Amino acid sequence: MTNTLADEELMFHVRNGTGEMLGVLFSRYQSPLFNFYCKLTGNRALSEDLVQDVFFRILKYRQTYKPGTSFKTWMYQIARNARVDNMRKQRPQVEIEDSLLPVVMPADRAQQTQETALLHKALMMLPEEKREILVLSRFQELKYEEIAKMLGCQPNAVKVKVFRALKDLREAYQQLEASRPPRDNARGNDYDVQ
Amino acid sequence: MTCNEFEELLPDYLQDPTDPRFRATVEKHMADCAECRESYALWSKLVTLPDVEPSPSMRARFDAMLNAYEEGRWEHDKLKEQRRVAAPSGFFDWFRMPAMQFGLAAAMLFVGILVGRSMMAPKAEPNAEAEQIAAMRQELSTTKQLVVLSMLQQQSASSRLQGVSYSMDVKQADPEIVSALLHTLRYDTSVDVRLAALDSLRRYNDEPKVRKGIVDALQSKQSPMVQIALIDTLVDMHERDAVDQIKKFQETPDLNPTVKQRAEWGINKLTRG
Repeated sequence: MTNTLADEELMFHVRNGTGEMLGVLFSRYQSPLFNFYCKLTGNRALSEDLVQDVFFRILKYRQTYKPGTSFKTWMYQIARNARVDNMRKQRPQVEIEDSLLPVVMPADRAQQTQETALLHKALMMLPEEKREILVLSRFQELKYEEIAKMLGCQPNAVKVKVFRALKDLREAYQQLEASRPPRDNARGNDYDVQ
Repeated sequence: MTCNEFEELLPDYLQDPTDPRFRATVEKHMADCAECRESYALWSKLVTLPDVEPSPSMRARFDAMLNAYEEGRWEHDKLKEQRRVAAPSGFFDWFRMPAMQFGLAAAMLFVGILVGRSMMAPKAEPNAEAEQIAAMRQELSTTKQLVVLSMLQQQSASSRLQGVSYSMDVKQADPEIVSALLHTLRYDTSVDVRLAALDSLRRYNDEPKVRKGIVDALQSKQSPMVQIALIDTLVDMHERDAVDQIKKFQETPDLNPTVKQRAEWGINKLTRG
């Protein structure tokens, strides 16, 4: 029954002390949050830690949730803070794990896989704030208005950020494409081995 | 239309390509401009990046955390209940009523005036007040102890260091804090934290447990800085019983020469003084 409740209602109960409702929210958001962090950091173990941290913070700061406001926006705000704190603690290290890259596909799909791997690489080449805006707007199904609230700016500013991040992504992608060694072999993935 | 004017339009189109307000404009621009077309193509391609499945251990970790929270909360509620039994039930509800609050405020004002007047006059029996203040002090020091103990458990060295420096505020030698500090002195990974713990412990140097702990901490595996600080502390405390331990320590092969010298000096001081 609890599964049909809206996020906001669940969080309202968590706020009032019914901790087990957080389990439902965890089921709903562990995967999106995990993927948000994986795309942002390229590191699976770190992403798992960060997801734990987010839910820990939700419990700890549950009183700061304002009933009636979007739970998702609030949660991603916490998620961003968790990432910022984590970066402050350790030196930034961007390394793409092989497991996050697409696996080698049968020959007919190899071309597409190549492109995806290249795109992933290009995404990881961007500064994290640009990558973040793309991940938030493209993968987390957040509206510009919601992202604006999170970043503390106007929706129009978010649109400009998205546009510029996309432009940088395009340039990174084109640069990678130009430097890609010519390939006869349809199978295999240049980026599997790192 | 230039690409710059496109800055705000394209993102709108990205979120809803069917919206008639900008659809025509955007599609016309893209037909002319290869770069914006490519940007849009990449945006579409982004969804082909694969999603990753979190490992099952993530759920297990979450459940463990939630359990810990629920247990802590349960304890908390139980405590509250006990307190409530002690106080007359429903009594505090009175304080919530506006009339009562108003009355109380007036009473406080009156009391304030009375107190102000009595301050002018020679002091009366301050017993009750002193007791209250003592109780508040007691509570405050318990809170401090808890803070210190939890900070010594922190992951980051700077938090632990802060914990040690807070411990300086705890005047009485609390057994739990003493053992936590002694443990820190021996096993903390950071030299700074170990040195700070030693400083904090020095204040309790008339406690036999502390003296023994400091003697025991003089180990060959310690860093030279801590070793020297330990020897100095033992000399300051006139800890004669430490002489044997320092002698044994001095025999350690490969001991840092400066430390060796200091140990010799320490033995001299302690046997002579």
